[in-house]
Amino acid sequence: MSEEKFDVIVIGGGPAGLSTAYFLAKKGLETLVIERGPELGAKNVFGGRIYSYFLDKYFDGWRNEAPIERWVRSERVSFLCKEDGVTIEYRKYDDIDGFDSFTAFLSKFVSWLGERVENEGASIIPGVKVEEIIFEDNVAKGVVAEGEKILADYVVVAEGVNTLLSEKYGFRRMHTPEAVAVGIKEVVKLGKNLINERFSVSDDEGVAQFFLGYPLNIVKGGGFLYTMKEYVTIGAVIKIEHARVGDTYMREIVEDLRMHPYIRRLLEGGTLVEYSAHLVSEEGFGGLLDKPYGGGYLIVGDAAGTLLNTGFTIRGVDFAMESGRLAAETIVNAHEKGDTSEEALSYYKKLLDESIVSKALRKFRNTPKFLSNERLYTTYPSMLCDVLRRIYTVDEMPIRAYEALKEATKDRVSLITLLKDLWAARGGI
Amino acid sequence: MSDRLSVEKRLTLVKFVIHEEPHITIDPEKCDKCVEKYCTKVCPAGLYTLNEEGKVSFNYEGCFECGACRIACTHGSVKWSYPPGGYGVYLQFG
Ligand SMILES: Cc1cc2nc3c(=O)[nH]c(=O)nc-3n(C[C@H](O)[C@H](O)[C@H](O)COP(=O)(O)OP(=O)(O)OC[C@H]3O[C@@H](n4cnc5c(N)ncnc54)[C@H](O)[C@@H]3O)c2cc1C
Repeated sequence: MSEEKFDVIVIGGGPAGLSTAYFLAKKGLETLVIERGPELGAKNVFGGRIYSYFLDKYFDGWRNEAPIERWVRSERVSFLCKEDGVTIEYRKYDDIDGFDSFTAFLSKFVSWLGERVENEGASIIPGVKVEEIIFEDNVAKGVVAEGEKILADYVVVAEGVNTLLSEKYGFRRMHTPEAVAVGIKEVVKLGKNLINERFSVSDDEGVAQFFLGYPLNIVKGGGFLYTMKEYVTIGAVIKIEHARVGDTYMREIVEDLRMHPYIRRLLEGGTLVEYSAHLVSEEGFGGLLDKPYGGGYLIVGDAAGTLLNTGFTIRGVDFAMESGRLAAETIVNAHEKGDTSEEALSYYKKLLDESIVSKALRKFRNTPKFLSNERLYTTYPSMLCDVLRRIYTVDEMPIRAYEALKEATKDRVSLITLLKDLWAARGGI
Repeated sequence: MSDRLSVEKRLTLVKFVIHEEPHITIDPEKCDKCVEKYCTKVCPAGLYTLNEEGKVSFNYEGCFECGACRIACTHGSVKWSYPPGGYGVYLQFG
């Protein structure tokens, strides 16, 4: 292995790294992907939904091959309280168009992507961790993995949200407790029929659901649920700054959620089959690297801060893949000229700036601040339950909606604060 | 089975390929001075525990390699790296 030299070495076989390798290999560049997991997918964790826009654009025939669990046809948001809750559903029925996102296991999706990459002629070695990037005269020349040097003209850093290598070489600083969240996930086997009945969907139709309120109000986090074919994933995402001080332990938080009467009913009779955790960036545009390149290297995906959270949709996987495509285009260009300089690779930044990834992150640049408003996780879900509880709890005299709202806001939030928060939503989501 | 499961029980559902050398270590001196002990709260696997004397003890087996403890620790006590290639958590449904 030490004798060989590649055109490109990609560190990390997640969506970003594999997408980079796919587009490089397509253009005939000799590409090696190094993944520390024992096989592709063993280390990747996400909630459960991938948007298909970029896949449609660049991956012929993917809809017939990829490990799609269900097409998301039901979008739900629930505001949970201890003993009641409010759920809003947007539902696509029958043949209405819009098969634009699907649920999946990232582990399986990534293995599928790996097959596509190998079909294009790139090599993937799993089970190997990159320890160092080799620099000569400030230009990356390869990597050290398991004590061996492997050389290449270009190195692509696709290490994900835990940016250990990037920190080591000063590409970025360690995330602060305000900038990242811990995402914790459980996978419950429920069976196709029960899922179809309980969620009122047919075989290929899926549900994507978010939760705010109890029990996650304690740590100001949000919850998620996705239906797979035979399984349901549920989980919670909590900023480290809150996770570390809340009155609850992160090891219990998803069980707390699973035991909520609303979710308990949905998952009754199911069997827990896996439990896992991973970090998620919460920074949006502010977390996108100013300089995701340098002599001989480029940084893609979560490592570069490409994840977008609009408050309604999370685009981690597809944006990571798109950044990989742009990195590949940059390298192909530079490689033709035999140029590995920082200047040549700055073209990536230009492509990224002009891309949907950067433009969307910029468009939603105020969202992280909006979403960090604690009342979204505490006051408002409980207020909403309270309003509807008052309206639907009937004794002699029925109550008007306005009265219910007035009662529910009392002692919770001042009118000024409420209006301020509403106003903030204008630029925020 | 729809009942609540302890974290120990949940960890038995996850496959781990354990390497003999811990990939995360803590500095007991720094931990002794720490009052917050954030690590005991944030670890989703509950691997940081307090013993009878109130000291933090840590077990790397069962680690998801999520990195929460590294970000949460304010004393720089958590020395964090990934396990060697091929080792550590081995997910089926990530
Ligand atoms: C709980 C949770 C829910 C989420 N939900 C969604 C969702 O529903 N939809 C969505 O689109 N996104 C979601 N995301 C975000 C999404 O998972 C990420 O944005 C996406 O995986 C980023 O891809 P990546 O390739 O940049 O990083 P990763 O997927 O993290 O891949 C990085 C890879 O690099 C490897 N690696 C790291 N260091 C080394 C090294 N030194 N040597 C060799 N290999 C190395 C890792 O093992 C890993 O396989 C979620 C994330 C979490 C945590």
